[in-house]
Amino acid sequence: MIDLIRAEVLKLRSTRTALGLLIAAIVVSVGPAILVMSLFPRDLLEGEEGAMAAAATGLTLVPVLAVVFGILGMTNEYRHGTITYTYLATPRRLLVIAVKLICYALVGAAVMAITALLVVAVIALVTALRGIGSPSWLDTATVSDAETLRDIGMFLVAVGFMTGFGVGLGALFRAQVPTVAGVLIWALAIENIITAVRPGVGIYLPFTVFMQLNFGPTASTGDGGLQLLSRPEAFLLSLAYIAVVSTAAVYISMRRDVT
Amino acid sequence: MPVIEVEHLSKRFGRKILAVDDVSFAVEAGTITGFLGPNGAGKTTTLRMLVDLVRPTAGSVRVLGGRYRELARPATRVGALLDASGFHPGRSGRNALRIVAAAAGIDATRVDAALEMVELTGAARRAVKGYSMGMKQRLALACALLGDPEVLLLDEPANGLDPEGIRWLRGFLRARAAEGRTVLVSSHVLAEVEQTVDDVLIISKGKLLAQGPISRLAAGAAPVVRARSPQAEKLEALLKARGAAVNRLEAALAIRGPGSAEVGEVAHANGLVLHELLTEQPSLEDLFLQIAGTRREQ
Repeated sequence: MIDLIRAEVLKLRSTRTALGLLIAAIVVSVGPAILVMSLFPRDLLEGEEGAMAAAATGLTLVPVLAVVFGILGMTNEYRHGTITYTYLATPRRLLVIAVKLICYALVGAAVMAITALLVVAVIALVTALRGIGSPSWLDTATVSDAETLRDIGMFLVAVGFMTGFGVGLGALFRAQVPTVAGVLIWALAIENIITAVRPGVGIYLPFTVFMQLNFGPTASTGDGGLQLLSRPEAFLLSLAYIAVVSTAAVYISMRRDVT
Repeated sequence: MPVIEVEHLSKRFGRKILAVDDVSFAVEAGTITGFLGPNGAGKTTTLRMLVDLVRPTAGSVRVLGGRYRELARPATRVGALLDASGFHPGRSGRNALRIVAAAAGIDATRVDAALEMVELTGAARRAVKGYSMGMKQRLALACALLGDPEVLLLDEPANGLDPEGIRWLRGFLRARAAEGRTVLVSSHVLAEVEQTVDDVLIISKGKLLAQGPISRLAAGAAPVVRARSPQAEKLEALLKARGAAVNRLEAALAIRGPGSAEVGEVAHANGLVLHELLTEQPSLEDLFLQIAGTRREQ
């Protein structure tokens, strides 16, 4: 197991895929944050919601990039034929997929953490430079309280789950371009359309479930609007999605000929 | 005691393609065995089944007494060269080997030793995308050697190698055999392995046609009579009429069936001039053609 983790870390360090994810995540999240905070009128940025909206503009795209990163992690093995050497070194395919899933989930979460920190730094810097009232969630005391730390933690867990989900999808479908295209179309279009038309169904769809880990209430609510899943429900359903995809991926991979 | 045992092995891809058809053979320890056959004969599929990359449809394979995946640290017992292009193009050759070594639980110091063994040390830090086909082949060989294994499975190792590389490969294989290792090497170019192997397995269209030491197979094969004549076309027709198998390239004939005396008599009786007439023991290529031809007729 330790040997496999070392090999996986070496794989990540010796190509530009992980670095590419970090750069892409920074570009899509920090770039818009700088633009919004620099160009938007002060009154739109004042208060809790204004700065939060600026922060969230690009950060919402990072989890989607993380899914793609997970898919690439597995499909690249087939695309470049390295899967032959991977399975020769470790014929236990279950272990190969499990270790890759865990490693990629951790990298996805780490990239999310770095990106979020950079966005917060940009907001803090620009609010200070423009003399905009700093939102309360930037106060050290708020950031370090238990609830905020739990929110941050759940966001990172959600991104880690989505990256692992991507690894499972990559192992299941193997073909890189169709898998990435299919997931992007599903996550960015189909799931949103279903959620808009049938919200009661939409909240149970995978990417919406993952995001409810971050944005969902801490318990089920019934305020007359859309009833989101509680965080524990979203957490369990996320695990179920990952378990189903991973089990299918392992089942197929163990029977798949590497020719 | 056999190191590799294959019994009634078959592999079917889909409904139509029977890639390997009821193949059985054994490879003894410390021998170099040539696994010979034309492209598409089923060599690669058989080798991949030996290391659990492809699941057999029927039959069984055992390497060192068990399944590859059941061996402890299998890459330290069995080295396999199966895919010279199976490296990430953006990764250096050295890193590609470091990854395999780490995953297989092989000491990292073996990486440089393996690179030196295949004479790739100078290019070790270059990205694989800049490697020639021959260099990728050597890198794949280094990968197989990483664990210093007692069994080597090499699938078309001479692909992409220049003549100097092929000569190097022959020396390399002989050195491994001298160390007492077992090598199963597949090739569709018979001349590549003819001077190196102890035993051969001949496979065509998924079926094993013959197996055994070259000397034994050669003893059962008819010699080839070589003749050269300015009237080769006429001689060819006369010999074919007598049931001989004749291949002609301009004035040169390769004749299977009649002996040199009979060929000379036919030429003399018909007033044909001969510039050359000799009997040769069949080469591995001749053997292969004879065996494959005989089976086809059956």
